[in-house]
Amino acid sequence: MHILVENLGQTDGKKNILQGIDLEFAPGVVNVILGPNGAGKSTLLRLLGLLDKPGRGEIYYDGRRLSAMSRSERTSLRRRAGFVFQSPLLLAGTVAANLRFGPRLRNLPVSEQETSRVLEKNGLRGRDGQEARLLSGGEKQRLQLARVMLLDPDLYLLDEPTTNLDPLSVKNIEAAIARLAHEGKTVVLATHNLIQARLLAGKIFFLKEGRLVQAGAAAEVLNRPLSLDIAEFSAAENIIPGTLALRDGRTVLDNGRLAIEVVSARTSGRAAAVIRPEDILVSEKPIASSARNSFRGPVLAVADLGAVMALSVDCGGFVFTVFITRISCVQMNLAPGVEIFLTFKATSVHLLPLE
Amino acid sequence: MNYILEGLKQGAALLLPPSSEILQIVALSLAVSGAATLLASLAAIPASLFLVLKEFRGKRFVVGLVNTAMAVPAVLIGLLVYGMVNRRGPLGPLGLLFTPGAMIIAQALLAFPLITALSLAALKGVARDARDLALSLGANRRQLAAAVIHQGRFAFLTAIIAGFSRVIGETGMTLMVGGNIKGQTRVLTTAISLETMKGNFEIGIALGIVLLLAALAVNVALQGLQGK
Repeated sequence: MHILVENLGQTDGKKNILQGIDLEFAPGVVNVILGPNGAGKSTLLRLLGLLDKPGRGEIYYDGRRLSAMSRSERTSLRRRAGFVFQSPLLLAGTVAANLRFGPRLRNLPVSEQETSRVLEKNGLRGRDGQEARLLSGGEKQRLQLARVMLLDPDLYLLDEPTTNLDPLSVKNIEAAIARLAHEGKTVVLATHNLIQARLLAGKIFFLKEGRLVQAGAAAEVLNRPLSLDIAEFSAAENIIPGTLALRDGRTVLDNGRLAIEVVSARTSGRAAAVIRPEDILVSEKPIASSARNSFRGPVLAVADLGAVMALSVDCGGFVFTVFITRISCVQMNLAPGVEIFLTFKATSVHLLPLE
Repeated sequence: MNYILEGLKQGAALLLPPSSEILQIVALSLAVSGAATLLASLAAIPASLFLVLKEFRGKRFVVGLVNTAMAVPAVLIGLLVYGMVNRRGPLGPLGLLFTPGAMIIAQALLAFPLITALSLAALKGVARDARDLALSLGANRRQLAAAVIHQGRFAFLTAIIAGFSRVIGETGMTLMVGGNIKGQTRVLTTAISLETMKGNFEIGIALGIVLLLAALAVNVALQGLQGK
């Protein structure tokens, strides 16, 4: 299903929960609505799922206007959409009863084969007879997803489906979400989890305080955030505010203690440098290279993130976060107190205008 | 103290076995209050569903009105119904005054705001989730109402029990519009009130025991339904 949203707004009494939202969702990729709590993500999903009426604006589903739809057209549209709620809405009764609630409500036949297929897909095989409310958090969420999948909708609206779940459940659900998009469904996922967004997103829509701040391909939004808000939220590491200046024909961002060479059309005013932790090179001695920025400082901490190690390195009062591989970390004998050099290119510095 | 114990003893004796007159009074009490509760519920359940599911201008005012209506004294409802059904009233030609019909109308009016308000309060917790779930699974209007009623069934039952308990124990209003006519409109509460005032304390106690048992039995039966 193709969805186009125009100037969508919602108010709660006097307060604007959403305003001026223009965006487009296409099938085949995971559309991630990213943003902090209270940004309006759930409200947007509820409007898309026709659970609430928009206060303003228009939504087009496959080109058909929501505001022009009759009650029965809206019902058939809801039947093409599936909603997974943040806190699982399960009824008293067994897993099977919950799973079949949708078809039962609508007097649809459902075969044993279909129910066991969706249970299997969601890692709940053979759990039919169990009391649904006694399932673990992750199982409840997977049951919700199974209940929606049984009705085979074209549109999946997922409201923070992995919040408060154990890592294994998160992995299972993320895999299921990726599969749905791969099968050509339209998937809209609301999350405040950046790692999840990095992992799943084809497109990212960044919401803040009810407004759409940035939208685009996931890599674009994550690597070149348009505002400090998004940078702070999506690349919380290495954001250095300072003043732009021209020195010896080069543009630098000076925070008073570090002068970072940058590529910028502007040569004055306040700005923030954003440097991704994986773009910084670590060495024991200064290295001769084309990279324009090199700083020396002691390692403060070494954290094991699983796939990579994260170093905290203090250079002139600013603590950089740097990702390196486990092997390099071992080979260089990196531990708190060791003095190292950090090197990065001027082109790796993403500049955000301030004020 | 002795005289209360004596009354209890004599009252209990009167019930072993109960006279046909007592049985008739019990039957009429249950029939009138049962019919009134049923009528009130038939209006109160859709009303509370509407109020909990529908957003409209002035909703808070209407909900406030229902809550306030719970506090209207029964005797005022008696006065209103009396005014409607007495010979000169707009419903006078129906000849309802001093009939079980008038008692049913009055008791239903008394129970309606109570059942509506209690249902509404209890539904608030479940209705939104039930609505979201049913809508998201593609329910139409009828299926949506069915799902919310099903999820709210305990809320409704509790409210209905409270409504029935309120009306079967009501005296003054029932007396005003029913008249406490022996064999026709005499119910447990009006009979207790009359017999006690006549000085037949033991009969009052006997009927009181029956009233208590009748109310208890209906409550237990309805709560049995709730357990299912």
